[in-house]
Amino acid sequence: MSRRDYLLRKFLFSLLTIFVVLVINFMLFRVLPGDPVRSVIGRNVRISAEMQASLREQFGLDKPVFPDQFFATLQQWAGGNLGVSWSLRQPVAEVLMSKLGNTLLLIGLGQVLSIVFGVALGLFAGWKRKTSFDVGSLTFSLIAWATPTFWLGIILLAAGSTWLGLPTGGIVSPQNVGKPLYTVLPDLARHLVLPTLTMTILYLGEYMLIMRSSILEVLSEDYILTAKAKGMSHWQVLWRHGLKNAMLPIVTMIALNLGFTVSGAIYIETVFSYDGLGKLFHTALVRQDYPLLQGAFLLLAVSVIVANMLADILYTTLDPRVKAN
Amino acid sequence: MKKVVFVLLVLGLVLSACGAPAAAPPQGDSGSALRVGWLGFPDTLNPAYAFLTESYTMFDLVYSTLTTEAPSGEYVGLLAETWSVSEDGLVWTFNLRPNIKWHNGEALTAEQVAWNINAFITNSDGWVTNYSYIIGFVEARALDERTLEIELEYPISNMEFRVAFLYIVYPKDFEGFTTPEDLQNFANFSPIGTGPFKISTLDKDRRVIILDANPDYFDGRAKLGQLVYQTFDNSDALIQALKVGDVDFAAEVPTSAFKTVETFEGVTAVSISGRSLSELILNSAPDDHDPAPNRNPAITDPAVRLAIATAINKQDLVDVVLQGQGVPGVGIIPPTLGGGFWFNSNLTDVQFSLDEANRILEEAGYVMGTDGVRAKDDLRLEFRLQFPSDSSNYPRAADMIANWLNQVGIKATPAAVDPDSLVVATNPNADYDLVIWGWGSDPDPDFMLSVMTSEQYEEGGWSDSGYSNPAYDELFAQQQMTLDENERQKIVWEMQEMLFNDRPYIVLWYDDVLQAYRSDRFTGFIEYPTGIDAFQSLMNVEPVQ
Repeated sequence: MSRRDYLLRKFLFSLLTIFVVLVINFMLFRVLPGDPVRSVIGRNVRISAEMQASLREQFGLDKPVFPDQFFATLQQWAGGNLGVSWSLRQPVAEVLMSKLGNTLLLIGLGQVLSIVFGVALGLFAGWKRKTSFDVGSLTFSLIAWATPTFWLGIILLAAGSTWLGLPTGGIVSPQNVGKPLYTVLPDLARHLVLPTLTMTILYLGEYMLIMRSSILEVLSEDYILTAKAKGMSHWQVLWRHGLKNAMLPIVTMIALNLGFTVSGAIYIETVFSYDGLGKLFHTALVRQDYPLLQGAFLLLAVSVIVANMLADILYTTLDPRVKAN
Repeated sequence: MKKVVFVLLVLGLVLSACGAPAAAPPQGDSGSALRVGWLGFPDTLNPAYAFLTESYTMFDLVYSTLTTEAPSGEYVGLLAETWSVSEDGLVWTFNLRPNIKWHNGEALTAEQVAWNINAFITNSDGWVTNYSYIIGFVEARALDERTLEIELEYPISNMEFRVAFLYIVYPKDFEGFTTPEDLQNFANFSPIGTGPFKISTLDKDRRVIILDANPDYFDGRAKLGQLVYQTFDNSDALIQALKVGDVDFAAEVPTSAFKTVETFEGVTAVSISGRSLSELILNSAPDDHDPAPNRNPAITDPAVRLAIATAINKQDLVDVVLQGQGVPGVGIIPPTLGGGFWFNSNLTDVQFSLDEANRILEEAGYVMGTDGVRAKDDLRLEFRLQFPSDSSNYPRAADMIANWLNQVGIKATPAAVDPDSLVVATNPNADYDLVIWGWGSDPDPDFMLSVMTSEQYEEGGWSDSGYSNPAYDELFAQQQMTLDENERQKIVWEMQEMLFNDRPYIVLWYDDVLQAYRSDRFTGFIEYPTGIDAFQSLMNVEPVQ
């Protein structure tokens, strides 16, 4: 099978997966207990029973789930339309896109930093096995990995705002809203310090631990011994033969994490009042806002699948054995 | 290599940020911007379709209504200067104040107000959030530039309250919509109103709203130059922001943090009697309800109800659950409504006494079993005690109540239930025994009383107890049409007494509104039942000299 056929098959299979996810989600949200109209309005006493009936009709909820609601929704999706959120009354695609930017900024930064530091720590810890550096970074990573997000966030928030004068929440200061982000970079950066730091600490441990065990395994391989015997320096062995082979599990890890982190880091967002996708997913679920829920889960499914596809493709480059198969 | 440069760049940015100077307060009228931290953000600013309280906070600042509630609970004119009602109670005439201008400089006319009210009446499927307030309205007419007439189908006793909830919008913004859906999909994030503040910036992705004082406001310009609303997603961060001075006002202080906030330097914490109540709901659905009630039938026994009420120490609940920030509940109408006018002060609550509760049950024939649970024949006093899982106060309250009940031979099993499921369980399924829940009341008693009417116990209605009493329903209709306030008061008091004796609810407490502000920077707040951030209070706030 040529590489093109392989990718094409992957792509078609992904499309099928997305469709199946959409259908399952459609059904899943509709078997949730409760009445979406009641959830959307909350306990707002302004809405009488008559008006709830009127909204139910407008949302198409007065019709049976199958076939009416199902085909109406399919038809809408087929037209590339995700519908209008019931609670926010804005097009779902627009709402998702506006939060996606915020989330990618935070998650992207946090992931890049935790990958860089995690991989570096793991690599050196593995290389310098059983030294105090190894024990120290291993202990730190285990603690970091086991720390509850919310707790770490709150502690950093209290410390950072009290002693460093860092902001207590938001993405930019109120006086800078409405301005394009690149014009207020210092302010933006000040707001990103604490959430990014929290995120980095939390993920760093995971990457470090995987990298360490992976490099330890690679370093015990015969070809490393061969490389050393050929007279290569420690650094050359580590860089050229160790790192590249030890990266495979890390790539899988990154792909999985990146896929799921689009769902937002809800705890971090909540602690730092950072308006990302995680909070939006939560709101959509609490208010049983079907169009928004469906759109949000579509985005989540697509990003997990795309991240996995990217990992597959990267594998063909990193590992010749995958290419051969 | 490029990647390395990028990472270094990002790192540099992050590190440099730590050293950047602290953010200065937003520039407005120098130093007169009040920065408000709150725990939500408006869903939309369209009064036709807004459900979150944050939306209504904005409406109060940006829009005006014909009348408004004074701190005393009386209704005073806002857009209206004076008003009168015809002898038969069917025609209300409102005389508008002179010199009212929209934010765009145009003058407000009675014609425009009439357009609003007629739109609410004729397109009620569109203006869903106004429907309850215009039931019984026939038509509005402008007699001249400043005189408005509203014709009614029948006399409406709480007309002044009803119009205080109808925000008058700029007709041109709302004229073009042909379907209810189109109208509701209009987010209206740049509203034109006649209120004391106008929105200058609204960023829904950063969740910040900045309002400027309206210099042409008919009641004089607000003393503040600007209001800045910033959203926090958790109350700990909000309290921290207040402590370090990132915000000047915290719109919500959690009960558990109130005592701590009181100790902050330069901060004043306020506790105001509000309009909310929490209650224990006792399944009171009629036996012939469809679907058939699923409950322990013992819950309908008046003796059991009285015993439960006697076994609950409400003062303890207030002291422990609310940390003293509230008062024990009696009737369904909170004592703040109408400045106390609607609260039946003749009601005396049953005294807490476990001995007395035991005696009542003994006398009613419930015999203590060997397992500590009383029973009469095959009727065991064993109940589910459910509460919505999104409340932080109810788990504690449920534990305390279960403990007291346990001491009188009633076994109550507390369980947190997701609020959506609880709605369905109470109405229409009548599938529960005891539920702890709460209400935020309107300033007029009409709504709270309506919750107990038979007609509200249907899908989409607001009754959760299933209480059904034709005599009560009769009184309810009567109070809606009684124009004489004192007459109406008598009926409202009688209804409260009925509910108190039949016990579809055991009202546990009325909780306080807890807020805090930087008193080293701002002064002039006025207490309203909704908080010190009512728009009339914010008009009066000024920087400390």
